[in-house]
Amino acid sequence: MFEKTLVPVAYGERPEELMKIGRVLRSLGASAICLYHVNEPGSFFRGADLSWLTLLSEALEETGLTVEAKTGNGHIASAIAEAALLEGFDGIYMKAKRRWHIETMLLGSVSRDLLRLADVPVFVHKVRPRLPGDGAEPDRRDLKILYATDLDETSNRLLPYVMEFAGAWCHLLHVRGRMADPLAERVRREAVDGKLHAVAEELRPYFERVTLEQRIGDPAGQVLYVSDQIEADVVVLGRKSPAFLSAPMGDTAERIVTGSSASIFLVPQPGSRNAS
Amino acid sequence: MLREYLRREAVFLLSAGIVLFFIGFGVARPDLLDAASSAVHSAILDHCSWLYLISVFFFLAFALGLALSRYGTIKLGYDAEKPQYGFFGWVAMLFAAGMGIGLLFWGVSEPLVHFLQPPPFINTASPDAAAFAMRYSFFHWGIHPWAIYTIVSLSIAYFSFRRGMPALISSCFYPVLGERIYGPAGKMVDVLAVFATVFGTATSLGFGALQIHSGLTHLYGLSSAISVTIGIVVVATALFMASAILGVEKGVQVLSKLNIVLATALLLTVLGLGSTPYVFNVFTSTFGGYVNNIIDLSLQSYPFAGFDWSREWTVFYWAWWISWSPFVGLFVARISRGRTIREFVLTVLTVPTLFTFVWFAVFGGSALHLELEEGADLAAVAGADVSLALFAFLEHYPFAGLLSAVAIFVLIVFFITSADSATVVLGSLTSGGSLIVPTYKKVIWGLSLSAVAITLLVTGGLASLQVMAITAAFPFMLVMIVLCYTLAIGLSEEKVQ
Repeated sequence: MFEKTLVPVAYGERPEELMKIGRVLRSLGASAICLYHVNEPGSFFRGADLSWLTLLSEALEETGLTVEAKTGNGHIASAIAEAALLEGFDGIYMKAKRRWHIETMLLGSVSRDLLRLADVPVFVHKVRPRLPGDGAEPDRRDLKILYATDLDETSNRLLPYVMEFAGAWCHLLHVRGRMADPLAERVRREAVDGKLHAVAEELRPYFERVTLEQRIGDPAGQVLYVSDQIEADVVVLGRKSPAFLSAPMGDTAERIVTGSSASIFLVPQPGSRNAS
Repeated sequence: MLREYLRREAVFLLSAGIVLFFIGFGVARPDLLDAASSAVHSAILDHCSWLYLISVFFFLAFALGLALSRYGTIKLGYDAEKPQYGFFGWVAMLFAAGMGIGLLFWGVSEPLVHFLQPPPFINTASPDAAAFAMRYSFFHWGIHPWAIYTIVSLSIAYFSFRRGMPALISSCFYPVLGERIYGPAGKMVDVLAVFATVFGTATSLGFGALQIHSGLTHLYGLSSAISVTIGIVVVATALFMASAILGVEKGVQVLSKLNIVLATALLLTVLGLGSTPYVFNVFTSTFGGYVNNIIDLSLQSYPFAGFDWSREWTVFYWAWWISWSPFVGLFVARISRGRTIREFVLTVLTVPTLFTFVWFAVFGGSALHLELEEGADLAAVAGADVSLALFAFLEHYPFAGLLSAVAIFVLIVFFITSADSATVVLGSLTSGGSLIVPTYKKVIWGLSLSAVAITLLVTGGLASLQVMAITAAFPFMLVMIVLCYTLAIGLSEEKVQ
């Protein structure tokens, strides 16, 4: 899943912070990392000395990972998404709440654009899981994974990615609308329960513990609520093309990424605008 | 056991409590009641009159949208179900629901009052005022009221006949409230429906009593004191209560059919004895103007000139129809089982509307003909006392006494049949949607309807009736907006070919 991971970096990145990230990625199965820096046209830092990138690479190599450093040009998010796709990366790692350039604060979030544009899975690291400060790799058995599934055919494509978190506690969640009458609601609840159990059976060999739940309501709101309730470390979800009407509010994935304290592992699904 | 009773009868106890409190308050402190209801009414009109206009237009667009969409083929019942009533029987019953005291009360007087008191940008008693008066009479009694009824009846019919839930407004809230429809939230929705029905029906009964009284005074020189109006309400109450309690359904049905025949005969008589080509011209040109301007009429609140006029008339009507909608909606839903949504919506929106247009063209057009062409002073009569306009109008026809007597009889029968049906509907709404209503509930609701009508007549007459209709309808308008949403959710779950 993260074997070959692209990590976008910007000037000002601290080596010790990057080493913590490296240990987390190793614990998730990463073996090779590409530090990727984008020179944005018109940027104040364009053409500056890139020796800091070499220093970062050297620091990261100390964690036992194979590291390479690359640079690109153009619109930051588009350049990262394009590089990840063309160079066959398994995923993109982003640490949330970090500004790569002063411009990003003025022009909007690079993260938001990248979530929308990326054709490979994106891991957005948020408050949880905490980066270990003692140099140790995080233990998978301590991780709580919240897998939010639509239970449709395309969501099956997410299962291999969920399985990559093997050894953790996996909580399956399906959020849906309420049916129009009590009988239809009961039938739907039973059908969803059946499907969730089937998915749970597939996942059970890989996880220490698998639990499941279905909820009624707004998908983003419910995912965030459950994530807080179980103190999930990672929320795994698919990303589809946002519906036209969701545009003013932001689509579900975007709202979850914005509001969640847990990290988000977002996998582009078929039907998504850029999904390959 | 008491706890169980309180839980089961929560809607009945709460709504009856509110209505009884209102009656007690009105009897003890009529001045305070008048002041309080006027304050609420003013607040609603000052801040939300636009909401009535935009909501009712939305209801119309929503109903038409459903009928013309792929959901139009969905049946109000199970897929293999056949309509419970034949098409003509069904249409006749829609007439019965659509025609009521209001048509008789306003058929002559509304065009005349608009003619005499149009908004400030139109010259009083001018040909322009006449065209305006007819167009707005068509508008207030046209497709919009039926769009309001359609939303309620379609929701009830869909959720009860197709989804197997009780025939209650709260049932339609299942997609948003879930099991909470059986709790306080659902009960509150039903209480709002009861509240609107009581005040909407009481308003109509008040109009009916006022007009019966005016007719009797006009014909037989009866005293015009308010005590006589109250006496009329009391006698009519005794009659409709007897009908509701004894369950003389067949007798009431016969009376209803006779009433429709008499009302139609009255219409044809006025058409035949009056200036027929003039009436047809009024119908044609007003219909054209109505169709051509329907969007402007729907959303026009005249904010720059005539704002008060719009609030006093259009907003009052929309509120009145909304307050009638649980009652008419339940009735129309019951007779429409087995129809498709398209057939239901298009028929309900067009057939009664066309009949109403003909009614207004005949009565209003003839009255304007008398006023403009023959020098009759009907508008002044209507301006002074709207309930008297019909009888002053009939004075200009041969057999005026007989025609007035027929009109009074039709009014009395409409009063009885409307109040009887409202009593049963209120009983059903407060008995979990059951059609078997305990007698004590029928007694309480029957007496409450009349008591509310009397209280309103005593506290402020016609103005009070209008104030309460608008006030009671406001919360139910919000309920109706949610009904559109829940209906859309329900339909979106359907597998449509």
